[in-house]
Amino acid sequence: MSTANGFKRVLPLRTAISTSAGLASAAINFLACVEIAEYAGGASAWLALLVAGLLIVLAGANFSELNGMYPSSAAIRVWIRRGINDNVSMVTGFVYATTVIFVIAADAFVLGHVFQAAVPNVSGLIWIALLLGLVTWINLRGIRLAGLVQDGNGLLLLTTLVIFSFLVLLHPHVPLTAGRLFHLGPNWLEAVAVGIFIYVGFEWVTPLAEEFEDSRVIPKGMFIALGLIAIGFGLFTLALAVVFPNAEALKHSLVPQLIVGLHALGPLGFWWMVVVSLTTAMTTFNGGLATASRFVYALARERVLPSKMARLNVKLVPQNALLLLSFLSLGLAILVYLTGQYLFLINAGAAVESFMYAITAIVVANLRKREPGSNRPFHSWGVPWLSWVMAVVFAGLGIGSLLAPSGEHGFPGPLVFLVLLVAASQIYVWKVVPRLKAQKRGMAKAVVPKR
Amino acid sequence: MDLLATLETFAEQCNQNQRLRKMNRDWTRLVELWATDTDQRYWLKSEAGWITSGSGEAMDAELKISARHDILHDIFSGVITPTEPYNAGDLLVKGRQDDMMRLDIITLLIWGE
Repeated sequence: MSTANGFKRVLPLRTAISTSAGLASAAINFLACVEIAEYAGGASAWLALLVAGLLIVLAGANFSELNGMYPSSAAIRVWIRRGINDNVSMVTGFVYATTVIFVIAADAFVLGHVFQAAVPNVSGLIWIALLLGLVTWINLRGIRLAGLVQDGNGLLLLTTLVIFSFLVLLHPHVPLTAGRLFHLGPNWLEAVAVGIFIYVGFEWVTPLAEEFEDSRVIPKGMFIALGLIAIGFGLFTLALAVVFPNAEALKHSLVPQLIVGLHALGPLGFWWMVVVSLTTAMTTFNGGLATASRFVYALARERVLPSKMARLNVKLVPQNALLLLSFLSLGLAILVYLTGQYLFLINAGAAVESFMYAITAIVVANLRKREPGSNRPFHSWGVPWLSWVMAVVFAGLGIGSLLAPSGEHGFPGPLVFLVLLVAASQIYVWKVVPRLKAQKRGMAKAVVPKR
Repeated sequence: MDLLATLETFAEQCNQNQRLRKMNRDWTRLVELWATDTDQRYWLKSEAGWITSGSGEAMDAELKISARHDILHDIFSGVITPTEPYNAGDLLVKGRQDDMMRLDIITLLIWGE
């Protein structure tokens, strides 16, 4: 496709919507819905999701402004560097990339349990290793799953959720009264905090900005996708409230989507949900590994990470980065599968994203001051006062996610883990990065021809 | 050295590198380079493994790169990797990410890590 500016290839709005919805649709979202319903006290989970969604729209406006100013696949690396500083940009980059490993491990956990339920004779761990290994091999061979398959899966999942949820809601065993729909449980704010997790990844369409000629397509795509996600998963939480009238019973369900499928269409619904869970997890593995490995490659090329991470195989794939991420995801997935501590991943993931939304709010406000003359195809709302309110609200939600009960003894594992991760990243940036950069300067002198 | 001369040297280095010629055999692309501070435009063309360069606008370019003149010079003479100004927001690109990565890999294969 050629445009008026002589640019040969542009992506349409449809791709912005499907990519945003596709990246936010992970199989772990089913378990996150269970957790939200548990914290919200049952059927009011939909309201927690709606409130989280409205907050996310504000975060989406910030991403839209930054993406319009700097439409780059390096996204947060560029924005935070310009809006705060290089140090914060590197540390947040490391922590953000870790979230991708969390999401892959979490989806692997879901996938293991789905197959354990569908084929009880084979251990879920074998399925996890097999499917993660298959996706890694596909990526190493340089085979890219077609964009249509990757992005179309999000819409398939959301359509399935809407249809199946309606089928369940048509025949409720226990009526969904106003009292149930609006009953706010004691941990309702934690439900909103974890609700953020359902939308995690909607903004990962921004790195595609360079492939859209009109920057305004991405905000439109993100906002439409957010609406679709809210509808799909909001209805799913209502269906859960019908299937599990007692919120306490939800705690023990690791395959809620299969149970909803069974209630909606019997065995056909059950197996349909197995297939949708499989495709969703596979696309999460594929999208996560492909994106994160290239992020690691870019950091290695910048000498922020060891140069070994920039090593390419014959198919021009950053194989060391890919294998490292794949092994880390597999290790974490096995650990979580054996311990059953999946709430750790959800709460830590929700917290990282909340903090990221707080940081982007600050970056928007700072860049309005630092670069007032820059072109802004999209203007975020209420800058700077609303930006600071959002920074505080999202930081609070992040802390809420970290402190939400995720273990039997109330030990705040996600909080300790995140503090250690940030500290390790900061020490690495202070101690190791300067040495790597110094090595590079020495090498550049040796290889560059004189002007 | 002006940017056109730098690009010509870059193209020559690419063409002398057998591995690059083999790698780019099927990579047919027109890349436009815009030096934003001097408002000068240049192009690089990859066809059947061979790279050529020139000055002026490139209609129907698959990849459009814009940066200050000195940054473009430093990238195409190997002083810096494209990733550095890219991650700092000093180099903007319009086009497919695969193509951007290919350009980065070309500089990697010429000047090493």
